[in-house]
Amino acid sequence: MRPWGELDDPRRRILIQALAAGFFSSAGNAAAQLFGRAPAKLPAGQSIYRVSGGVTVNAQQATLQTRIIPGDTVETAPNGEVIFAVAEEAFLLRGGSRMVIEKPPSGLTTALRLITGKVLSVFGRGRPTRIVTATSTIGIRGTGAYAETDPEQTYFCTCYGVADIAANSDPSSRETVSAKHHDKPLYILAKGKAGEAIRRAPFINHTDQELALIESLVGRTPPFVFPVDTYNAPRRDYP
Amino acid sequence: MRRGETIRSVALGLALSAGAPASAHAAGYSEFLDSVQFRGFRAEASYTTDSNVTRAPAGDALSDRILGVRVSAGGVIPLSTRTRVAVQGFAGIQKFGTYTGLSNNFIGTQGDFFFRSSGEFTAATYGAFVRTAKEEYESTLRDGYRHAFGVTVQKPLTDRVQLFGALTRNISDGKSTVFDARSTSMRGNADWSLSRWDTVYLGADYRTGDSVSTVSRNDPIRTLGFADAASAIIPDDAFNDTTRDAYRLKAHTLIATLGYNRAFGERHALDVSLRRAQSSVQNADLKYTANQISVAYLGRF
Repeated sequence: MRPWGELDDPRRRILIQALAAGFFSSAGNAAAQLFGRAPAKLPAGQSIYRVSGGVTVNAQQATLQTRIIPGDTVETAPNGEVIFAVAEEAFLLRGGSRMVIEKPPSGLTTALRLITGKVLSVFGRGRPTRIVTATSTIGIRGTGAYAETDPEQTYFCTCYGVADIAANSDPSSRETVSAKHHDKPLYILAKGKAGEAIRRAPFINHTDQELALIESLVGRTPPFVFPVDTYNAPRRDYP
Repeated sequence: MRRGETIRSVALGLALSAGAPASAHAAGYSEFLDSVQFRGFRAEASYTTDSNVTRAPAGDALSDRILGVRVSAGGVIPLSTRTRVAVQGFAGIQKFGTYTGLSNNFIGTQGDFFFRSSGEFTAATYGAFVRTAKEEYESTLRDGYRHAFGVTVQKPLTDRVQLFGALTRNISDGKSTVFDARSTSMRGNADWSLSRWDTVYLGADYRTGDSVSTVSRNDPIRTLGFADAASAIIPDDAFNDTTRDAYRLKAHTLIATLGYNRAFGERHALDVSLRRAQSSVQNADLKYTANQISVAYLGRF
């Protein structure tokens, strides 16, 4: 028999060395990356729920430990995606996007500027918020919303809640949308006839499951119960 | 569920189905039509190779290629915040390359009732369904109706993995009694999303009850074994290469499915799947396996 402290079974030795090296912790993280996890309210001090591909916060590579606060700029490479929360608000920023969480002006609790790209957002109920995109300025309250913007146009879906939408280039193009479930997606054009810079749009590029996911990060559930499956890719039925 | 919602759902259902006074009925009908949310059309075109279309042991297993087209249209009727009914109609064709007697057309309808307790991400959705379809084959004996009813549960486990389970009672009513079959199926499926557009899925389906195998008379001992185990026998008119008999047998069948769905946006997807079925006849040493490889285009319009 070996003296106390010496391991005679090489498998035990390897196991203890692996534990000491934090192997199982990193294996757990890898499993979470691979198979995901059940989303829940983020613990205090944690901003990022999931990060993949190239993502920076204030030009620094983002990790799960990165804090995001008002004033920060979040940017994703074309292959990147980040899901995060700031206070009562939660976001899914898709690849090829650049967004600034602005320090809100007086009277607002949140303001954000989507310079380019695509973002799904949910905001605390009763919290007046302003979103500025390349072609529009949107005032919202207690809303889930999806926006895509480029210099030519902004796509904006009021997933639920109320949004006051105005075209940046044409003050006479304004519209208030009160939606229960993606009722009226819109395009806001950079160039358009006076009063006609806002047009109806189809439903694109976001799902109810994604809304439910980011709402859960801030401890809420979306107002709808059944996610609509036609927003997802078609699947095969096996009778 | 809030009590008011329950009462409203029940009242609407009763008013529509139980013959309320005409004016109330008309108002209810109008309300009913307004509440239907049309979910559009779906189309599926598939190419499948099947190693054993006779569902017979080695030696009698015949392989074939199958082209399939299926279209469906459906809608959803919310009954309350937490309950809804989904209805769909579907129709399609299957064309077999060699054994054309198996080629068929079908048309049917399905109704589902769903309950979900909340919009929480991981909340389960419970369902009950009824489906019925009429099938017409190029041969005659299989013509008839196929009915199914059962219960389902669907639950997101994580943000990448979703589980589905179903318990189904299948009843087929063919022109020949051999094709009057009843079976029970217990099915589980796991979807694993690699990305928003890529999903790998794994399924297992255990079926017990009547199963039909078609076997030639070349091996008298095996023929005797089938005849002993079968509850009904008839010469199968779907095959004309030699005389083959269709046997209705009590069998346990396990079907495993491994698939990959690649979406091209929200309206189009390509689906590749491998399925393997292993079946063993109760109270007899008779077994078969069948392998299917299938490629399908799925579209929503």
